[in-house]
Amino acid sequence: MDEAQIKKNAEFLIENLPKVEIPGEAKIRCKYRKMVEFAKCFGYTNKKYIGSEEEIIACPGFANSYTVKAFYTLIPAVKLEQDGKTRDMLLNPTKLLHASNQYNWENCFPIKPGDVLIAKAKYDKAWVNERMVLFTQMHLTVTNQNDELVCNITSIGAIRPGGY
Amino acid sequence: MPRISDVKVGQVICFEFDQINRELLRRYAKASGDTNPIHTTDAVAERTGLKGVIAHGLFSFGFLTKMLDEFVGEEGKIIEIGIKMTAMVRCGDNLITEAEVTKIEGKRVYLDIEQRTITPIDIKKGGEIVKQFEAGERGYVTERDIARGLIKTKEVDEGTLTYRERVAAPGHAIIELNE
Repeated sequence: MDEAQIKKNAEFLIENLPKVEIPGEAKIRCKYRKMVEFAKCFGYTNKKYIGSEEEIIACPGFANSYTVKAFYTLIPAVKLEQDGKTRDMLLNPTKLLHASNQYNWENCFPIKPGDVLIAKAKYDKAWVNERMVLFTQMHLTVTNQNDELVCNITSIGAIRPGGY
Repeated sequence: MPRISDVKVGQVICFEFDQINRELLRRYAKASGDTNPIHTTDAVAERTGLKGVIAHGLFSFGFLTKMLDEFVGEEGKIIEIGIKMTAMVRCGDNLITEAEVTKIEGKRVYLDIEQRTITPIDIKKGGEIVKQFEAGERGYVTERDIARGLIKTKEVDEGTLTYRERVAAPGHAIIELNE
């Protein structure tokens, strides 16, 4: 992709991405074994995170797991109309990097084994830096099967030139 | 577990972890569902120009949440954490997580976060390399690291250790403690 096309695509996405409705939702089933394995990766010994299926909740870092799974489901579904043609938001997934994540658990419910999380997302804004890396800021709301809030996430992805 | 009156502005909470290895990254990949092979397979990482596997972008975040979770204990809670991923974390790195209390309001404690990595490169004695670490073998250190003054040395039992020290993830956190 040449520089002119990269610039054109960047301008298009900066203007249009915040208006895009991200279709659908991501459903993530929280399995007991995965929750415990996740906690053990970080050396947790607290029974609250690695005990029996009846007693545990997800450790706070588990937010990484459902965030990544939500992105894998939601981002490929984003389509835009550019120059009369439908295009994916992300043209090359290998050019996508995580730049920043913010998790907020204010008034949120803990995650228990068997919970089914539902993640919905919307783009807030997009911008480029001097090296034409495109940054996209997305807000993700995660609730459980009872419609109780689990986490609010603001995530910034960085897409290198050629990836958008 | 601390109460809000036990915490002071300027107080630093710290946690170090020096066991980042391929097996742990494989376990994390499986548990988190982030199975991109650049985190688990050197050959794939090398093909994308990375010279070897890198830790998942959010991997370090797990150690930060664990440190804060253990600090707040059973009665406190983590309200918010935000981090930027500014540098790659790799196998062999010593990951240092620090949180400094910057403000206390009511039951809320505001913290500045810094996660940095110490990457051992080699140990020299009499000008000869007597031990080389993964970063030295695979060439993880760049000219830019040198230009930015990130390469340092210190004396250890076996000779002079050369290492890189850099910030991997700056950020902030808000926790809540009981009165």
